[in-house]
Amino acid sequence: MMFAAAIIAVLIALTLAVARALAGPTAFDRLLAANKIGVSAIMLLALFGFMTGRPEFLDIGITYALLNMIGTLAVLKFFRYGALGHAQDLDRDPG
Amino acid sequence: MGQVIDLLSWAALLGGGFFYVVGAIGLNRMPDIFTRMHAVSVSETLGVGLMIFGMLLQAGFTLVAVKLIIIVLVMWTTGAVATHALARAALHDGEKPLLADATGALVATDPVSLFPELGVRLATPLKSEIVEEEPVESGAPEDAETLAEAGYGAEEEDANPDAERPDSADKEGQ
Repeated sequence: MMFAAAIIAVLIALTLAVARALAGPTAFDRLLAANKIGVSAIMLLALFGFMTGRPEFLDIGITYALLNMIGTLAVLKFFRYGALGHAQDLDRDPG
Repeated sequence: MGQVIDLLSWAALLGGGFFYVVGAIGLNRMPDIFTRMHAVSVSETLGVGLMIFGMLLQAGFTLVAVKLIIIVLVMWTTGAVATHALARAALHDGEKPLLADATGALVATDPVSLFPELGVRLATPLKSEIVEEEPVESGAPEDAETLAEAGYGAEEEDANPDAERPDSADKEGQ
């Protein structure tokens, strides 16, 4: 029951983050919202696992937590250079 | 004892959910990207930390608790790093933070005008430095040739390749 209450809170936050991701004027707003959506997914995994008595979902949560930052950094780098690390592409104008 | 733990778990989960929703509301209500980042950071540290703590109380001393601690530690470190990278990228891209002027109105202000030393740190080094470095690399052989023409170290440069080539040929032959 307590996990269900927390899941509802996370779902509300998730909806608001999706609204910002759709509305965000700059790419950074969308990226921030995407980061929040990723964290919400991890929390949903953990809370749902506890609610159903199967906390094995936490392994997936750890993977998502590691991928979340890598994804954010990769998208930031892509927006800056238009590439993900080929040295010859760095000469192009960023952004 | 079980009821006390359940009560603490309720409080932690509800408190964490509260901070998490507040962060999401701030994400929608705040005026510019930097304040939105601030709102999300609060929810990602305090909200997630409290919710994980509530689950930790229910898990007890098990492997699940270790996994929960790993998740919260990873999230606390990577969240800060990602937020820092995001703020830096936004500043590089020319996003101007909204700052209050003398009358209290919000004005998009260039942070470099307030903190000149920030311009040195934000000066985008990547494109310009790489473009400048390439002629230096291509120019290095020319410098060596001019040195060789002038007679400096010409014998050594000629002697070393000759000394290396028979060795490599012997190794290939073997």
